[in-house]
Amino acid sequence: MTETGDLTELRQELARAATMLDLGRYDEASNLLARVVSAEPGSSRAWCLFARAHLGADRYQAAVDAANRAAAIEPAEEWPHRLASNALMHLGNHAEALRAAAESRRLAPSYWQTHVCVAQAALAASQPALAAAAAAEARRLAPNEPDVHFLSGKVALARSDLDGARTHQERALALDPAHSGAMNELGRIRLRRHDTVGAIKHFINAARTTPGEHIYSRNIDVVILRTLSRMIYIFVLVALIMLWIPAVAHIDRFPFAVGFGVLVAGTMAGFTILVLRMPQEARRLVRRTLRTRRVVTALAVALGGVAAAFAAVAFVPSAELPQTLPIAIIVTIAARMAATARLRSTAGRNQPGPPVGRNQPSPPIGRG
Amino acid sequence: MEPEPVLESLRNAVAAMPDDVPLRLHLATLLLRAGQRDEAVRHLGAVLQRDPGNGEALAMLTASAEVTGQHPAPSADPPVSSERTVAPAPDSASSAVVPDAAAASPDPADGDPDRGAAAPPAGSPGDDTADGARRAGDDVTASYDWSQAEAELRDVLPSMFVGDAGSTSAGLDEARAYDAEHAGLTLDDVAGMTEVKKRLEAAFLAPMRNPELRKLYGKSLRGGLLLYGPPGCGKTFIARAVAGELGARFITVSFADLIDMFVGRSERNIHELFEVARRNSPCVLFLDEVDAIGQKRSQLRNTPMRSAVNQLLLELDDVASDNTGVFLLAATNHPWDVDSALRRPGRFDRTLLVLPPDGPAREGVFRYHLRERPVAGIDLAKLAKITDGYSGADIAHICETAAERALLDSVQRGEPRLIGQADLEAAAAEVRPSLGTWFDTARNVALFANEGGAYDDLVAYLRKRRLI
Repeated sequence: MTETGDLTELRQELARAATMLDLGRYDEASNLLARVVSAEPGSSRAWCLFARAHLGADRYQAAVDAANRAAAIEPAEEWPHRLASNALMHLGNHAEALRAAAESRRLAPSYWQTHVCVAQAALAASQPALAAAAAAEARRLAPNEPDVHFLSGKVALARSDLDGARTHQERALALDPAHSGAMNELGRIRLRRHDTVGAIKHFINAARTTPGEHIYSRNIDVVILRTLSRMIYIFVLVALIMLWIPAVAHIDRFPFAVGFGVLVAGTMAGFTILVLRMPQEARRLVRRTLRTRRVVTALAVALGGVAAAFAAVAFVPSAELPQTLPIAIIVTIAARMAATARLRSTAGRNQPGPPVGRNQPSPPIGRG
Repeated sequence: MEPEPVLESLRNAVAAMPDDVPLRLHLATLLLRAGQRDEAVRHLGAVLQRDPGNGEALAMLTASAEVTGQHPAPSADPPVSSERTVAPAPDSASSAVVPDAAAASPDPADGDPDRGAAAPPAGSPGDDTADGARRAGDDVTASYDWSQAEAELRDVLPSMFVGDAGSTSAGLDEARAYDAEHAGLTLDDVAGMTEVKKRLEAAFLAPMRNPELRKLYGKSLRGGLLLYGPPGCGKTFIARAVAGELGARFITVSFADLIDMFVGRSERNIHELFEVARRNSPCVLFLDEVDAIGQKRSQLRNTPMRSAVNQLLLELDDVASDNTGVFLLAATNHPWDVDSALRRPGRFDRTLLVLPPDGPAREGVFRYHLRERPVAGIDLAKLAKITDGYSGADIAHICETAAERALLDSVQRGEPRLIGQADLEAAAAEVRPSLGTWFDTARNVALFANEGGAYDDLVAYLRKRRLI
């Protein structure tokens, strides 16, 4: 075959691989690109696409290796450094990721993707000021790019600028109404404002838009469990205060027992009101969560512990109260700790996270 | 128990006359009596190499497997009989078995592309036996005579489910884009999946088959059927069966074909595809993994792909208006990623959920994947029971893993042995169902994105399985 024919064939193979990557078919693309790079090891673009395929398939070290090969072939090309930076971030090597991102920006300072890359790497390296500066430059270069505003919002949230974060995410949504990542971030901002119901609404919107991204529905689960945990905390806190009443006020058993009943009923009513304010989908999830064994166990432990403490305080003679009260308090606190631990074992990391999956928009790793 | 000198002299005689079948059979009989099963199996294998239809050898081979504790299925799957194996033409009994076997196998193209790429190691990490087998296997691999083992196993041992499978499996792997073929399958060939068949009949086939009634009720043939469900569960196979039911030719367009279209001049390629379908009418045009071509245009950054989607919409409208006998079928694992324009009335406006195989279907899939392997004593009903929730592709993987276990064990022992029930059960314990991720997404869809009740059947299934 002639040289021109080879070149045409290579271009076609690369176009095929790029299409597969656009469709999220990373493994098929990897197989194809493995053949291409073995036949044409001098093609920087092939190595870059190969790195992108590895990134998509969560093979980060392989992605770094492929990106480095591409950089060695074409040292003046910014794309390999951007790919390497992204992979290094996933590997937890934030310093190197930031260095690679800075190199890509040095090579193509007028290219907004390189600034987004720097902002992302700086954010991961806990350098929010540097991230903010890079995000601002990216916004200047590409004011109508939703991903730029999305990342700017994340940077603002990291700097606890909740209003700024909301503005950026709303701008991202205005530019791309289906930007599920921005919806998720708006939910996280609401959570920072202690608006549980509002947060859940945003998470539901994100999950509806991109059902394949599981972090959104997981965030809803986490918020529900966090709400339950908070309810247990308030319940135990009030119970701890009430346990002191017989020692201070010398009241009878009956009003004390009634007080316990009111506490239980009040806590349940508060939780019910909160759940009723949630969207229907979230209410369904709450019902499902409440039926899980771990949650039932956690609630039983908390309620049982507090009930035991109340019973002990209520039924011991007044003379023995000074000895009984500390034990009752310890039992109550232990019950709360055990219940919370049980709930945490369900949720894992008890903090709603940003989107990390491949189905949601993320700072670009493709060639613009 | 035979005295060793007798056996020794017979061994010498066989060595001198290796082609003497009765002599080998006699030696094998004595060896079995003496409890030397493995050597007997080897000689029986040699007999079958020379005389593949030797009923006595087959019966002894089956009996030898049972002796070692590999019990055959109670009733559903009788031991291989010489008649079943020997008869070149299908008799009524074998033909009743075989179509199901072939029918229930999902098309590999519909499965997870990774599944067959690399088989996992035999045994779980905590499985001492498997670890031991692996270690021992490593030690003896270098000295193991692979060619001899292959020679002994190839075309020798009777497979449990051998029959005339040719008629039903023909064309499964030969489908090529732009080649219109007769599918040669019907829904009767699909094992189990009764619900799917019922819904398919009601939603698609009944109006197609009854043109007079269709006219009477003013039912048009506009629109196609979109099959959706988890990967590896037989959507492609069902599409072929639908083509067979309609007596139509079958054109399948795979993901690779779609990619090729994007690379070239996509509009012309798609138009050409539909032209081929029209020329071959009546014809079922099946677009596999249609989410690749019909992905939401908002998600497509690649301009040629956007124009390909537009061209596809144009052709679909043409098919609907001309109604030239082109029936449209498509399959996708992710219907929620398919452009809503593609699902408007007149296009792919009917959907059918193809769920993981039910019990009878799983039996069929096992039967199919074991039919050309040396197996004995397989309790298909039990295997089907323990693999509830597995896809067809998962079951294929289980069979692969079981074969791998038996192979490693053969390496360790230095002689081949049959794949048994224990191998398959161990493999089933090792291979986890691959559908978890799909169901996670499906759960999200059911909870948050079931607008207009488009996924009510999915919701019902998830509720039944207590997944939501």
